[in-house]
Amino acid sequence: MGDSTGRRIVWIDTVDPDDALARTGAKMGRLAEMARDGLSIPLAFAVTIDGFREHVAETGLDETIDRHLDGMDADDSTAVEVAAEAIRASFRETAISPALAEEIEEAYEELSDRCSDLNVPVAVRSSATGEDSSDASFAGIFDTYLGISGAQATLNAVRDCWASLFTTRAVDYRLKRGISHSDMPMAVGVVELVHARASGVAFSVHPVTGKSDRIVIEANWGWGEAVVQGLVTPDHVEVGKADGRILKHDVSRKDIVSAFDFAAGVVVEIPMPTRLRERACLDEEQISAIAAAVLEIESRYGYPVDVEWVVSRHRRPGEPVSIVQSRPVTTAVEQASPSAYDPMVLAQKYIFSAR
Amino acid sequence: MATIVSVDEFVTDEWYPGFKPAFEHAPYYVEPFRTFNKEDEKRFWFLDFHWPRGLTPLGLIWNEDGYNWGTQFAAENLPLPPGRGLVSRIAGIHTYASPIDVQSPYEIGERAQRMGPRLGEFLANFDEIWASRRDEVERGWQHFVAMDPANMSLPELSTMLKEARAYHKRAFEIHFEIMYPLLVNYLGFYGMCAEMGLDVSQIGKFLQGYDTKIMETDRELWKLTRAAKQAGLAEVFATTPASELASKLDAMGGAGSAWMTQFRDFLQVYGYRTEGSCDVALPSWNEDPTPALGTIQSFIAKEEEHDFEKALAAAIEERETAIDEARSKLTAEEQTAFDAGVASCQAANFPWWQDDHNYYIDLKVSLPMRWAARAIAEKTGADQPDDGLFLFWPELTAVADGEKSMDSLKSIVKARHDYFDYWHERRPSMPKVLGTIPEAVTDPVLIEIFGLNQHFLTAIQAAGSDSDVKTLTGVPASKGKARGRARVFNNADNLHTLEPGDILVCESTSPNWTPAFAKIAGCVCDGGGMLSHAAIVGREYGVPTVTAVGLGTVVIAEGDEVEVDGDTGTVTVIKKA
Repeated sequence: MGDSTGRRIVWIDTVDPDDALARTGAKMGRLAEMARDGLSIPLAFAVTIDGFREHVAETGLDETIDRHLDGMDADDSTAVEVAAEAIRASFRETAISPALAEEIEEAYEELSDRCSDLNVPVAVRSSATGEDSSDASFAGIFDTYLGISGAQATLNAVRDCWASLFTTRAVDYRLKRGISHSDMPMAVGVVELVHARASGVAFSVHPVTGKSDRIVIEANWGWGEAVVQGLVTPDHVEVGKADGRILKHDVSRKDIVSAFDFAAGVVVEIPMPTRLRERACLDEEQISAIAAAVLEIESRYGYPVDVEWVVSRHRRPGEPVSIVQSRPVTTAVEQASPSAYDPMVLAQKYIFSAR
Repeated sequence: MATIVSVDEFVTDEWYPGFKPAFEHAPYYVEPFRTFNKEDEKRFWFLDFHWPRGLTPLGLIWNEDGYNWGTQFAAENLPLPPGRGLVSRIAGIHTYASPIDVQSPYEIGERAQRMGPRLGEFLANFDEIWASRRDEVERGWQHFVAMDPANMSLPELSTMLKEARAYHKRAFEIHFEIMYPLLVNYLGFYGMCAEMGLDVSQIGKFLQGYDTKIMETDRELWKLTRAAKQAGLAEVFATTPASELASKLDAMGGAGSAWMTQFRDFLQVYGYRTEGSCDVALPSWNEDPTPALGTIQSFIAKEEEHDFEKALAAAIEERETAIDEARSKLTAEEQTAFDAGVASCQAANFPWWQDDHNYYIDLKVSLPMRWAARAIAEKTGADQPDDGLFLFWPELTAVADGEKSMDSLKSIVKARHDYFDYWHERRPSMPKVLGTIPEAVTDPVLIEIFGLNQHFLTAIQAAGSDSDVKTLTGVPASKGKARGRARVFNNADNLHTLEPGDILVCESTSPNWTPAFAKIAGCVCDGGGMLSHAAIVGREYGVPTVTAVGLGTVVIAEGDEVEVDGDTGTVTVIKKA
């Protein structure tokens, strides 16, 4: 068992959740909080922010970064792009120090053992501080690699995640806001890849109308990437919060599925097999389990959340679904559904304001 | 660039030959009724469907008492925040109406403040309010029906005429006093359902399946149909023109006169009803039973009887199913609001009232004025009783009060008959709208009742650009598909000639058209929204209906084979006649 209070590596199920946000970034920090709260989350460890800082300091990457960005004109988009690309190249070319590499490899082996697997496939996820805060500008712009298998591949993926801190968009954003890159260090999570029968996202408030009396679930067969990236029109489910009734279940034609390519060792997007294309990918029991998890997370945090969930191939009815990510909802202004009938208010709203 | 339809042809000071109104001719609440002037071109006017025949001089009183008093009175007293009611003009003998908008947001806000508590009070006490108004109208009715105009003196008739006018005017205060808040409640509920993501085409169903006085009348007509068949009179009905049926049956004796006794009993209760809305020029069934007999005649010809019990039970079941289905899509919170909204709109039921009130008001309250006017004409030596309907109010009262002789008006009356006939012929080609056509109409009354939606506006603006139109689209007002022979009606005069399976094509329908829905296979209207008469009755009778197609009566010819799709709101001309 690894040292959960380790400086450079921590295990998400044993790290003190109160320290986790600061040490492992927003994404992995929330996962640690959910682990504490008894939600079903996959096994995971994180390369901490300290690990990242040590890496950039020891290898001289921080000087490289400063050299590229010093005196950069935020409005010179070409220069920003060139610098960002150069920094990312440096990250990919710079080997991880043997000590840290060894710790990551050991942790990976341990994760495989805990999953009763060899070279267990994992999701390697960027987890920057502030990434998922109510300022959503960074949401989703750092890399995630699904289906990485083997210690060396994991090390490479960790480096790629670090490098994604310097995408053109991220650099541009920080320059324009006057945020130093050193104020935004990045942890990386290495998370057991749950064998997904179906996955997707769920919102504890309607993401478009802002109605807070329902949970909205979007689902596809396989892994959730096709849904998150908007490559597929997912099945759409709405569940009433008060009584858990399914209000709406629109089964769409799902043309793309994110599936695990065993030969390449990654999750890839492929055409959906015909037999699954127009079939509902969730049943009522699974929908209830997703809704229960979303309600639990929202009540723990006290604000609307969106959640990435997975129904594992090994899940049996009655068991919880796996939650692989959660964050505050930042898109919609919360709006109550009408719960009383006031003809005058309605008339004002729908008739007299029309002109 | 707004489209402007010129009013030039209709600009005149003269209402009919020989009549220019004095200043303050008739009382009005916000704006007076008058003829068109050039200035009116800046506003939007639509041809009113209520009077497809056109209005006689005395008939124009409805414009004064109904639109320019009743709607304005009610809209100002509620008050209706965004509008002050309707104002009207005439082009020849045809009425055009226009909404009077409140422009200032400040005023709209203040009016809304005033309306709030009144609306709540009205809805909470709707049953009592409508019952008391209905009683008032019925009390007035008893007052007049007890009179015997044929045996009254001219001064007595003068008094009757003036009382009848007061009664008429008051009836339309009541009409709009009830209609506006019901409509507001309905439309608020409609908006709420739309925002909850419900299928708004189902909303009519939530409120259907409640019996009205008009439906009651239709049931009685079917009872008479059954009785005629049982008495072996089917053959007589099949071979006698409707206009001669009464005398023929009376002359038959036996089964024929027995049936006529039954029919007259029916008329005593249901026969004070005109073949059209709000028009003093129209006789009641009591005066001329041809329309009622014609309806029974075509019911007899219909192989299958319209089963009212079954249709009502089906409507109720459909209502409950629609409500359950809508509820299942709502959160518990939404269900609370929805249930309260359904309860409120069922208790103060706009679509129901839209049909029911016609029995008490629209088809009835002009009759006392008609009786008095005709009796005055007879008493004063007119060529025919109807000449009384070709006088304007100041003229008729002057005759009744002995200040003017009927003789002195005879040549004018003759000219006015000709004038009426000329404009009556022109009805099918009257412009559907006049003045400045807006980009969009926002007034809910205009959209939901008159059907002046975006589609209608587009359709009428495109008029004339292609004469080869095969497909029309409009409001899918009542579901289902039907194909049949088109029967194009510009008014209700020959409605009883409709045959089972026909597709009725018209400007719009009124309550007197209701029995036709038991015969026709489909209905197409130029105007009318989801809450128009045709839409409501089409749903009650299960007749596929498309409203607001714009130019159905122009594009579709008598005898064309057409298909009506009430699900998509399309009407297709399959084969030209």
